[in-house]
Amino acid sequence: MATTKAPKRSLVLQRRETVVSYLFLLPALFFFVGFVIYPMVMGVITSFTDASLANGGQGTFIGLSNYIRLFQDKIFWKSALNTIIIVVVSVPCVTAFSLWVGSAIYKMRSGARSFFRCVFYLPVVTGSVAVVVVWKWMYAKYDGLFNYLITAAGGDALPWTESATMAIWCVLIILFTTSIGQPIVLYVAALGNVDSSLVEAAQVDGATNLQVFWKIKWPSVMPTTLYVAIITTINSFQCFALIQLLTRGGPNYSTSTVMYLLYQIAFETEKNFGYADAMGVVLAIVIAIFSAVQFKVMNGGTTE
Amino acid sequence: MKKTKRFLALALALCLSVGLAACSNSSTPGGSSSPAADGGSGDASGKTKITWWAFPTFGVDSGYEQELADAFMAANDDVEIEVVTINFTDGPAQLTTAITSGTAPDLLFDAPGRIIEYGNAGYLADMNDLFTDEFKADVNNEGLLSSCQGRDGTYYMYPISSSPFYMGLNLEMLEASGAIDYVNLEGDRTWTTDNFVKMCETLRDSGVATVPGIVYCGGSGGDQGTRALVNNLYSSTIVSDGKWNVDANGVKALELLQSMVSEGALDVGNSMVASDELQNFQKEICAMTFCFGTSNEVSYAPIDDAYTQVAVPFPSDDGVPELEYLVNGFCVFDNGDQAKIDASKRFIQFICDDPTWGPKSVVKTNAFPVRTSFGDLYEGDEHMALLASWTQYYGPYYNTLDNFATMRNEWFNLLQRVLAGGDAAAEAETFNTNANTVTTG
Amino acid sequence: MNKSRVTPYMVVAAVILIALAIFFIFPLYWIVTGAVKTQSDIIIKAGETVKWFPTVISWDNFARLFKSQTSLFGAQMPMAIRWLINSVFISVASMILTCISASLAGYALAKKRFWGRALIFSLFVAAMALPKQVILIPLLSEMSALNLVSSPWSVVFPVVGWPFGVFLMKQFSENIPTSLLEAARIDGAGELRTFFSVAFPIIKPGFGALAIFTFINAWNEYPLQLVMLQSNESKTIALGIAGLQAEMSTDYGLIMAGAALAAVPIIIVFLCFQKYFTQGITMGAVKG
Repeated sequence: MATTKAPKRSLVLQRRETVVSYLFLLPALFFFVGFVIYPMVMGVITSFTDASLANGGQGTFIGLSNYIRLFQDKIFWKSALNTIIIVVVSVPCVTAFSLWVGSAIYKMRSGARSFFRCVFYLPVVTGSVAVVVVWKWMYAKYDGLFNYLITAAGGDALPWTESATMAIWCVLIILFTTSIGQPIVLYVAALGNVDSSLVEAAQVDGATNLQVFWKIKWPSVMPTTLYVAIITTINSFQCFALIQLLTRGGPNYSTSTVMYLLYQIAFETEKNFGYADAMGVVLAIVIAIFSAVQFKVMNGGTTE
Repeated sequence: MKKTKRFLALALALCLSVGLAACSNSSTPGGSSSPAADGGSGDASGKTKITWWAFPTFGVDSGYEQELADAFMAANDDVEIEVVTINFTDGPAQLTTAITSGTAPDLLFDAPGRIIEYGNAGYLADMNDLFTDEFKADVNNEGLLSSCQGRDGTYYMYPISSSPFYMGLNLEMLEASGAIDYVNLEGDRTWTTDNFVKMCETLRDSGVATVPGIVYCGGSGGDQGTRALVNNLYSSTIVSDGKWNVDANGVKALELLQSMVSEGALDVGNSMVASDELQNFQKEICAMTFCFGTSNEVSYAPIDDAYTQVAVPFPSDDGVPELEYLVNGFCVFDNGDQAKIDASKRFIQFICDDPTWGPKSVVKTNAFPVRTSFGDLYEGDEHMALLASWTQYYGPYYNTLDNFATMRNEWFNLLQRVLAGGDAAAEAETFNTNANTVTTG
Repeated sequence: MNKSRVTPYMVVAAVILIALAIFFIFPLYWIVTGAVKTQSDIIIKAGETVKWFPTVISWDNFARLFKSQTSLFGAQMPMAIRWLINSVFISVASMILTCISASLAGYALAKKRFWGRALIFSLFVAAMALPKQVILIPLLSEMSALNLVSSPWSVVFPVVGWPFGVFLMKQFSENIPTSLLEAARIDGAGELRTFFSVAFPIIKPGFGALAIFTFINAWNEYPLQLVMLQSNESKTIALGIAGLQAEMSTDYGLIMAGAALAAVPIIIVFLCFQKYFTQGITMGAVKG
């Protein structure tokens, strides 16, 4: 470590600094250990038991049974697949789209720029519940706005959230509108920071706009892109209110995600806490791997 | 070197968190006993405070729960009652969280399905003392009494009223489309599957409604309606030998619904539960509802007399329906405080057996009293007389069978799969397997 | 700024942007207008024209929304307003606690050398991406042991425990020149005084970012609220609307009134502090 190169300090000083540091850390550690680490450990322990509502949450140790069941559970795999679809579709769409909007508006006059930035950020501020209830009405099969417009234009009404194939796209559209606000703000800032002398020099050399974008702008907004990818990934994994209020995981589990299934198993259907916790543990491991990889990539990208 | 250090640190952190876990574990008994102590003596006024959670069985937003609580508190100044109303969509999950977290209400107004599940799991106070010989003799109905009992025969629910589930039709739409020809409005209004199909087809062809009817299957809310529909069409049952089982006739009924949906004679509501379907019925988007009952026909009554609602039993191939029925009743959670249990029981008796409030409460549920001594509370009401005539068609009560909650979850998923075009026989087989898998201890 | 010529691409881009803006604003417009429409204006039926604008402004939906009453500190108020107050309380309390605990911890992690620093930091980072729902069940039993179920703190504490704030404030604290800290120490300033007089002014911009993030996070922390806040009085406005949606799923006027109540105040706050929001988000990311 770099610190070993510093002149050796006296042990007393070192000890004092350690004590002081932990005093500074105390409030944060209290909440972190008490309300994140501790429940996490408890969750891991419960996942090896058969705790459920029927036995008052006081399960007995059943080894890996919950995990074995998990890997044989078709509904779990279906939900896992839906989760992956949501992440895999939304991350590139949100990233590409917000980059495009960002580059389209960052050169605008500040009034227009903040107008657009504001418009795209509004659904984030509003909160997913308020957004979902109005979308639910627009999607409604019999008295929804979309079907009204379609039939008024002479088309056939669509089933929207009623259809196992369309429902997940309905979820994705809402997720999209609540996800792109923040990335756009970030890209506008990042593009504004691109060294304009480089851009001008390239234009003098006769580079096209597209070339300027790929050769100069794209590399310099790379750190932002990675950051956007990470927050969008986390957001997509966490998508819960949307599903609970819009489709309740249906039709036929076509919009069920691991997160939602976990909630259902714990509180609605089986009330099986051990099994739900096992699901949580597996999900946590997957997300941890995901973010570790992204964090590594990001750190690699920003080393100066 | 660096690695060992990191490993050591990790081990330490683990010890730290496990240590913490152990600490709070050992303190749990103290923690769980404190709320009880709190309720018993914490209140400066010395009142016993009880919490009452009520599903909207007295009607949505009627305020009657509070009225009852106020009346009881006026007569018993040692008890304080907090009323919490919950709904059928979120309420069940709320109950689970509350029970899990040790914050269950003291009193719950519900039906046997959930109550017996909680009772069997040991969360409820037994009600054996309320089931006196006088009460049993007054009820005089073995089936009904046994629906209040847990696996071991303990009484967990004190019943107040019961009523059948049936279908609702929109009279004006039937007349406008001509589908009225297939509906029997004479006598006890029983009718056949053939006529039901023809009615739906006529409604579809006339286009008076956006859709004739909706087989809702987006969740378990109000699923007794769709189960009754399926079971009546070809007189099938859902239970055989104490196991959940969709039989060959059930499969036939599912196939019929499947073909009706694919031909547009019915629609499927994959993201709807009964309350959604009922609201669509109320807004005249569909011409029938499969989830009518004494309370729903009041809660979802026509606005400004926009149409006339007609109650009919479920259609069946032999014209003899087998109706599901609702039993409304109360249970008391054992939250470790005998004073609260006693106060809750007193309040229950006030609601159900008080000479003035008892009959009034029954009428508020818009159902028939379980106590025969209450007599005919709806004298001269033709509609209630019709409903009373259907009690002879009550089918077996299965809501207290083990795995009921799991079965309900499997049921709406079965409908979703079949109505999306799945093979009815194979899907029913999946249902029969999954619904009987005991997944919880 | 050099103004380039108007190219066809720019025209197309402008058209797409405006179309998108309408698409994004429309749901909001529909909430606000739906909330003040009469029942007859709200109905959408094939063959009848949709009322894009309310023909008359009616407060009937709000009257129905505010029908259920409750009291708070002796003051009588509609239940829905109580929900709104709960939401604000939870968000503000999370914001304050997070700002305090995260800035102290971030400062220590960035500027102090002590045993266990690397480990604690990696633990914080590892936990950062984890969705809270994963620990929902154990958290619920913990809260019930602490007697905190249906208390706003049951949502506040886990939000404060989430390590993103610490991470963010650590990045900001890296900017504090060590020489300044040394100088303060030589002058004989105590640890806390050094923090407040030297470190605090430098990391102050980070506060804005963190405060905004935490506020929005707590406001939108739906699953945690759903499980923890069980009594009617303890609900947040988001839970309240979700309940309306479950009970009266097609009473759109009522639901829109609830959604408007949830959305409009926070949008006003956002519009007033728009500049800080943008700065905060940008700084959070550039530093992150």
